[in-house]
Amino acid sequence: MFSCLKHKVGEVLLPGDEFSFQPEDTISLTDTVKPEKVICGPGLRRSGDRLLVSKSGVLRTKQPNMFWVDSQQKRYVPAKGETVIGIVTVKSGDVFKVDCGGSEQASLSYLAFEGATKRNRPNVQVGDLVFSQFVIANKDMEPELVCVDSSGRANGMGVFGGGGLLFRVSLGLIRRLLAPQSPLRAELQQLFPHELVIGMNGRLWVKASSVQQTLIIANLLESCENMTAEQRRQLFRRAAQGAL
Amino acid sequence: MMEVCGSSNVSLREFGCEQSLLSRPDGSASFIQGDTSVLAGVYGPAEVKVSKEIYDRATLEVLVQPKVGLPSVRERSQEQCVRETCEASLLSSLHPRSSLTLILQVLHDDGSLLSCFLNAACMALMDAGLPMSCLFCGVTCAIHADGQIITDPTAAQEKESRALMTFAIDSTEHKVLMSSTKGSFSVHELQQCIAVSQKASEKIFQFYRDSVRRRYSKTL
Amino acid sequence: MAAGFKTAEPLEYHRSFLKENCRPDGRDLSEFRATTLNIGSISTADGSALVKVGNTTVICGIKAELANPTVEAPGKGYIVPNVDLPPLCSSRFRPGPPGEQAQAASQFIADVIESSELIHTEDLCIERGKLCWVLYCDIMCLDYDGNLLDACVIALLGALKNTQLPEVTINTETSGPEVNLEKRHGLQIHKHPVGASFCVFDDSILIVDPTAEEECLSTAQLTVVTDEEGRLCSVHKPGGTSLSAEKLQEFICRATARQKEIQKLIDKVIHSVKTAQ
Repeated sequence: MFSCLKHKVGEVLLPGDEFSFQPEDTISLTDTVKPEKVICGPGLRRSGDRLLVSKSGVLRTKQPNMFWVDSQQKRYVPAKGETVIGIVTVKSGDVFKVDCGGSEQASLSYLAFEGATKRNRPNVQVGDLVFSQFVIANKDMEPELVCVDSSGRANGMGVFGGGGLLFRVSLGLIRRLLAPQSPLRAELQQLFPHELVIGMNGRLWVKASSVQQTLIIANLLESCENMTAEQRRQLFRRAAQGAL
Repeated sequence: MMEVCGSSNVSLREFGCEQSLLSRPDGSASFIQGDTSVLAGVYGPAEVKVSKEIYDRATLEVLVQPKVGLPSVRERSQEQCVRETCEASLLSSLHPRSSLTLILQVLHDDGSLLSCFLNAACMALMDAGLPMSCLFCGVTCAIHADGQIITDPTAAQEKESRALMTFAIDSTEHKVLMSSTKGSFSVHELQQCIAVSQKASEKIFQFYRDSVRRRYSKTL
Repeated sequence: MAAGFKTAEPLEYHRSFLKENCRPDGRDLSEFRATTLNIGSISTADGSALVKVGNTTVICGIKAELANPTVEAPGKGYIVPNVDLPPLCSSRFRPGPPGEQAQAASQFIADVIESSELIHTEDLCIERGKLCWVLYCDIMCLDYDGNLLDACVIALLGALKNTQLPEVTINTETSGPEVNLEKRHGLQIHKHPVGASFCVFDDSILIVDPTAEEECLSTAQLTVVTDEEGRLCSVHKPGGTSLSAEKLQEFICRATARQKEIQKLIDKVIHSVKTAQ
């Protein structure tokens, strides 16, 4: 099972493909037999003693035993712990309704901001952008966002300041940007000084020193969606020379 | 991203498919079988109208848009066939109280339209990244007056035929998900056509795999 | 207790019956509900029939009108079927334009008429390129309790068998049609297609003639239409869980048996109507 999953890493899988938990043909007498444990991420589903693929994409792995299917999806599905950029749509009593791109609007309590109390309400208006984290996200309940971490600190979350540009890219690009030691992020940093906020829901917010530079970064990010690393480097080199 | 499906013993016309070619929908695909061509778009999981909300699964709506004019009774029955086939393969219980909308636009009809709908629908659902238990494909068989079975017929071949059958076949067990027939035929002919469709489906699934592989080739 | 169980866990409720090879209404898995047929129930129509399959009640009226044949087929008349599911028959149907199920059923009936060739449309032509009959077959459901398609096909067949068309001659002087309402003759019915519907429960258990409740809970539905020669006119499965070829064979055998039963019923009813006159 483990070996056959390992074998397929980096290959394209389609829904309906399956892996079965089969005991090894030969049992080693010297090694102690350890039960195999596999952690399934998005796109993999357990059914009885089989593992089924439910999304099309590339099988990825992370040490020691995590597997998931990396697919190019556009629609965001909320997941607990992910940070997203939301737009406040409704202000009703104690909660804000926030559009985060999922199938349902998420709720955000006015107390879930750093330093907020019943007296000291945060200044949030309809139409504001908030960078926040999901604390409840499952298929049967209304998703809930907060703008504080577990110790009550903002930790970078909260309402956005003025200026900047919000735009959408595919979820696959977001994951590439957020990967540790992402080459894309490193190359971008060398261009101009700028602020970049990455929401797991496919929304990006950029602010550079001038509107022109902001637009250049936004356009670069949008265009590197379907580029190989080499093409991207060329494009960035041209941008650095001021060709765009 | 276009590619061609070769033909050997079970003859299918040239196939072509392109995924995520539209920017607005969450998933889109165009599917070409010879001269028949269909464009499919999927939106969802999105917010659902309260009147259509189902508490334990997603609401799937299928809209068929003909090339000219408004959808009529014939399109309604095709919508029903495509919808119920998709429902069987989608794991809609993973997105309860949400709506999925599948739009199928006919670009050109040169026979085997229903099977082209099914193929385009499957590719678009896959592109949208919706969880599915298996894939499905559509195969149309025409029985000629002399008893010969033609798979993936053109409009002219359809007209000459004595009976016309369209099946949806699933990818795991190669069984019949959907069947829609026209004309009269014997039980033996039906079984023959199912067997032929099952054989043809293997080719179509291989074609699916190749075109998805091509799509992900840049991120491998 | 049982009522509460049924409301809370309808699927489990049905499963517990199916485990014992029977159904909540006491039927066997492969048993149809009692089918009754009444012919000529609407005196103002040219032909009519009322069918009851268990609680499902369907009435079909046929109206014949004179019209010009289409340019593509100058030697043929035409048949226009329409299935109506008014809000009266079940709470799941809303008033307004016909819903998807009604439209799909209309298309299914039209396909059956065309595929089975139960009437040769050439017979409906009075004068080539000038005059022909149009048969409007309006099928209305009065009580919806599942298995609509079977009931519709029987009602249509019964009504067509009952249809009496007046004699039409073309006046040579005015070249207008003259209808002789006194002299009527029946239609020639070449085939007797009869449908049999099935449901699949939990991907494996097959039941025939489902009620509305069973239809809702089932994972797939299938309708097989056969004629008296055992040829298939339609194998309609709009989707749902997959079926193997062997299972399909089983369905077809049951459908051919059903065709014989229903044809016997229609013949008997027509005979009794004739003797009564």
